[in-house]
Amino acid sequence: MANNQQVSLTHLSFTYRHDHDAVLHDITASAPLNSIVGIIGNYNAGKTTLCRILAGIIPNMMAGNLQGDVQIGALSPTQNWSDFNQQTGFVLQDPSSQLSGLADTVADEIAFDLLNHGVDEAAIQQRVVDVAAQLQLTAQLGQSPVSLSGGQLQRLAITTAIVTRPTILLLDDPTSEMDPQGREAFFTWLKTIKDATIFIVSNEIDDLCEIADRLWVLDNGELVSQGTPAEVINSLNSDWQIGTPKVYQLARLMDWTMPDDNNQFPVTVDQLRRCADDDHSNQSSQVSISHQ
Amino acid sequence: MTTIQINHLKYQYPTSDFKLSIDQLSINENLVAFAGQNGAGKSTLFKLLTGLVRPQAGEIIINHQGLAILSPEDRLKTIGIVFQDPSSQLFNATVEKEVAWSLLQTGLDASVIADTVDKALATVGLTDLKDKNPFDLSLPEKKLLAIATVLAINPQIYLFDEPMISLDWPSRQLVTRIMKQLAKEKHQVIAITHDMDWLAANFSKMYVLSDGQVKFEGTPETFFGLPALSAKTGLLTPRIMQIAKEVFGDSRVYLTPEDYMKKHSGN
Repeated sequence: MANNQQVSLTHLSFTYRHDHDAVLHDITASAPLNSIVGIIGNYNAGKTTLCRILAGIIPNMMAGNLQGDVQIGALSPTQNWSDFNQQTGFVLQDPSSQLSGLADTVADEIAFDLLNHGVDEAAIQQRVVDVAAQLQLTAQLGQSPVSLSGGQLQRLAITTAIVTRPTILLLDDPTSEMDPQGREAFFTWLKTIKDATIFIVSNEIDDLCEIADRLWVLDNGELVSQGTPAEVINSLNSDWQIGTPKVYQLARLMDWTMPDDNNQFPVTVDQLRRCADDDHSNQSSQVSISHQ
Repeated sequence: MTTIQINHLKYQYPTSDFKLSIDQLSINENLVAFAGQNGAGKSTLFKLLTGLVRPQAGEIIINHQGLAILSPEDRLKTIGIVFQDPSSQLFNATVEKEVAWSLLQTGLDASVIADTVDKALATVGLTDLKDKNPFDLSLPEKKLLAIATVLAINPQIYLFDEPMISLDWPSRQLVTRIMKQLAKEKHQVIAITHDMDWLAANFSKMYVLSDGQVKFEGTPETFFGLPALSAKTGLLTPRIMQIAKEVFGDSRVYLTPEDYMKKHSGN
């Protein structure tokens, strides 16, 4: 049964038209609405295909054999795409392919979707300025979109995705072309978003663990693990070849387990701090002694 | 052993204010990283090292020979590059032909070429994809293919421009292993990166570029112990240092979690 407070994927399988092999096999997963879901896995694991289904691009624009059901709250990307689309923003892997091609400036590009949503002129200007500031594009508002660097283009794609205030946001590897400072700023910003269900595909496992409420792990088209970042990282199978966050690597080496569960190691800085406050409260003083 | 000697090098793009200016620089180690923000001059330096652009002043000397006077074939055997965007260096109809292409320019025997291609593809794990079109490959596979094309030529010096970008975890391990193996076999391996975790874990010599100038030369251990310099050159510290600082208020240098453990084992 569909639950209006949940994201639920039920027995989802997909084969692209003209292909023999299924790209996704019988995926059943869930997450609360308004949470951040990190989707991880290596290339060819099926992450981008899953994003296309979550966005409704499959089956509405790309054909194939889709089975099973996707429900994001009361909405379904596969069944009522136009209703769903009004509530959704997405950032594809290749951000330049998302440009309208019709805008002379970054500001016009950001405003483009708002015009289609029938927002009035003054409100549009205000919103464009607001979102550009959030993604650090204020200085670029008057420039042509084609003059932007790869990282700036990704930030522009994110800006155009959020300017309509979607309740569902899909981000497929949104930081691949950003430099480390840009990436850090992006994840810090993403954590501040409220009242939206966010799906993000990324290889940045340290950042994902810090911001995600749930992780879904794909391997060869199958969902092999789902849970909180701590649950997922603590039960990784080495066959999946997934990297681990530095916090977790450090905690394992130092044998710093979580205060409430001695079988689990922390995966975020906050969790590590709690381990340190708990049974390692003298850690920092030990540190200075051993080092002098 | 290879040495690269750079003397009074100056380069300026015709359409921008950016200026690369390196007075004296010699690169002797086998495994070297260049770090710096976007626009610091790293890629320009690589273009100069491969001879893709010519300096307006100064010279680059490789093993006591001027780069400018090398024949195209000697240059091919001396220095090879893997670009950040692998698509920019792929243009053949199949993976196999892509790797063979440069070799065909050297006039080698067909059987030697076939063996060399097989070996290069095996090293990067693409043997099974040899009949595929390069453009049907995933991004990490394209990058591995670009590496195979250079491995086939086996130049003395390998340049890698942001090799970790667009790779997933297993391909990152593989490329790192290949680079270290090349360095061990007495090739010179020079990488551009702004991935400080990877740099700190794998390199013992680094150069930092900022505003077209070399601002630091030395070990990562030394560089990350100079917070004012890393801030000025726009580089982050390794994640393990951020963690130590945030959780324990500890600002000392740690290159990796293993390094942290070693420095805290109390011996």
